[in-house]
Amino acid sequence: MILGRVTQTTLFRELTTSVTRLQRQIAQAQAQVSSQKKLQSASDDPAGAAAANRLHGEVRALAAAQDGIGFGNAVLSAQDSALQQVDSLLTRASEIAAQTTSGLVTPEQRQQAAAEVAQIESSVLSLANTAVGGRYVFGGLATGQQPFANLDDPGFDPATAYSGPTDPFVLPIGSGQTVTLTTPGDQVFGGAISALDDMRQTLASGAAPTASIDAIDAAAAGIREERAAIGGRMTRLQDRGDQIDSLTAGARTLVSGIEDVDLASAISQFVQLQTALQAALAVGNKLQTSVLDFLQL
Amino acid sequence: MSIFAPLSIARQALLAQQRALQVTGQNIANVNTPGYSRQTAVLTSIPPEGDAVGGGVRAGAVLQAIDPFLEARRLASASTLAAATTSRDLLDRIQGTFPVQGAGIGTALQEFFAAANALATSPQDIGVRSDLLQKAETLASQLRASAASLASSQRDVDRQVVQTTRDANQLLASIASLNTNIRAAEIGGATANDLRDARREALLSLAKSLDVHVVEQPDGNTNVYAASGVALVLGSDAATLTTVNGPSGAALDGGTVAQVAVRQGDAVVPLPGALGGALGALVDIRDQTTPAVGADLDTLATTLRDAVNAVQTDPAGRDLDGSVGAAFFAGTGAADLTVALSDPRGIAAARTANPGDNTGAQALLALGDTTLAALGDVTLGDFFGALQAQTGALARTADEQATIEQTVSNTLAAQRDSVSGVSLEEEFTNLIQFQRGFQAASQLIVVSNHMLDDLLAVIR
Repeated sequence: MILGRVTQTTLFRELTTSVTRLQRQIAQAQAQVSSQKKLQSASDDPAGAAAANRLHGEVRALAAAQDGIGFGNAVLSAQDSALQQVDSLLTRASEIAAQTTSGLVTPEQRQQAAAEVAQIESSVLSLANTAVGGRYVFGGLATGQQPFANLDDPGFDPATAYSGPTDPFVLPIGSGQTVTLTTPGDQVFGGAISALDDMRQTLASGAAPTASIDAIDAAAAGIREERAAIGGRMTRLQDRGDQIDSLTAGARTLVSGIEDVDLASAISQFVQLQTALQAALAVGNKLQTSVLDFLQL
Repeated sequence: MSIFAPLSIARQALLAQQRALQVTGQNIANVNTPGYSRQTAVLTSIPPEGDAVGGGVRAGAVLQAIDPFLEARRLASASTLAAATTSRDLLDRIQGTFPVQGAGIGTALQEFFAAANALATSPQDIGVRSDLLQKAETLASQLRASAASLASSQRDVDRQVVQTTRDANQLLASIASLNTNIRAAEIGGATANDLRDARREALLSLAKSLDVHVVEQPDGNTNVYAASGVALVLGSDAATLTTVNGPSGAALDGGTVAQVAVRQGDAVVPLPGALGGALGALVDIRDQTTPAVGADLDTLATTLRDAVNAVQTDPAGRDLDGSVGAAFFAGTGAADLTVALSDPRGIAAARTANPGDNTGAQALLALGDTTLAALGDVTLGDFFGALQAQTGALARTADEQATIEQTVSNTLAAQRDSVSGVSLEEEFTNLIQFQRGFQAASQLIVVSNHMLDDLLAVIR
């Protein structure tokens, strides 16, 4: 701006403009320092605001998925622990089968053994009804009616003992990924329960449970397979959990880069503006000098 | 030549210096008067009458230091500055509808889908179901609050249109009456400097309200036309601006908006075209920006309603009681979006007869990541993010524009000061100069008096 004549009004207007501008900048800098957020409104960084909105969404979605993974881990641990006990019970049943097949065992002894097998079968059924927070871990994680019938229920039949859902429970773990959390109970326990039931009835009749040795072993192998599958799912959840932690940390870093103030630079900016304001006001003070001071009228 | 000639010259000189001192005094007195233009008394020597030496000095016209082209630019700048600052303030309010910090639609949307994830984990949990309903209620109320805020902001802008139009009428009347006064004052050939300053100020104020074209007439009148060419002031006659109700339902709240019109006799004719100035910005934001943001908000609300309801009312969907789900959201837009479902058992989280199934909840959760055709193939969250960023970008651009216009206006003001402003230094030196002139002329009278005394002494 090149001016021919400069008047007092010009000088004072320049001063007012500068001071107003500096005070506005100081107010913004102060808001940034006190809130530690540089994104005060979308106009501060429109593209950044959109990115921050999306990143906040990701963080929330990942946190929700992480909650689900925590629950999934609890379910898988309960499944694994129950199946481990079933495995030992089947080992015991296998021993009984081997002992009672011998021709030296009397029918009475076999009937006594049948009582122990009934105990085992009852325990397996009870383990198959394991629940976490009221949700049956081998019954599609449904609540309410237990998925497996009890041995002493009237008309108990291994073929119809399972009344739970026939579909697996699929857990969402974020970003559209899923993990199958449960195998329907009849697929897990069907072999074991029918083998134990056969063995119990054979023993109760006083006969040698010859066929049960293989049947029990096959059922135990099925249980171990399921345990291996559960181990695989646990690893998958563990990996996904770690991944979510690192994704969340990454998203938080990005959000922070968009939203958060670099305090050191914000404070130095604030101080710089204050110095400029003081300088402007000091100059304004000197503007009081006028020709009047030097003229003797 | 007469011996009285020096006396006559001295008398003329005293009058002329006095006149110049009077003008200097007027300048000093008005050093802080807005719109005052510096005046100068034009001193001219009186030409000789049959003599080699002239007849002294005469104070002629009092001239104003004015640059008419600069004044025209100031008028245009006042309009654009008023439009820019008005836009900035209004757009800042609109972007405030979507805060980036704290609770808002974006957060509510994200928490709704986080609750859907919890439902997919625990589909039979009444607590989780209630939480989802609660989050849906929060989301709906955020949308309603934003829609209500937009509508009330639009209603405020409409009131401002009416008020600004009324204010402009007073200025039009004042300009017409100044026209009359200036014409009367200048009939004798004088210039009504101070009245002209007042008229320029009135025109500047008027230009802040709406863009005007000003045509100065040879007779001293200034005719004022709106940007569309409609005459607002012709000589002593001022048009009356008024507002008429626009089409019903044009406003977000369902009411009418005011249209700026001019009264011509008994007829009221809407002002055609863009108005410019504050009125132009007000009308533009009321009729273009605000409805566009409102429409986007409605699109978000109806798409959310349709997408969630489609999952909820899927024929395969089952609520906790084994029935097909009823609609989740109800309403026709953002302003009246409500959660229709009141019983948490009614959420159709399952897609099989097994109440522990979470397939329906998974479909609800997947909505959060689904691009929807109704939104232009983006997700609900991204659509809101884009809306928020768009209002932010508008506010930012308006702020930058206002800063630029302010700088232009400051520069023009400084240039006007440079031409028309009163410099006290200048006036005080003038004061001394004319005082000295007055003293010298007085001295001339003393000398002439002595000469007469000497001459009379000879006779005595």
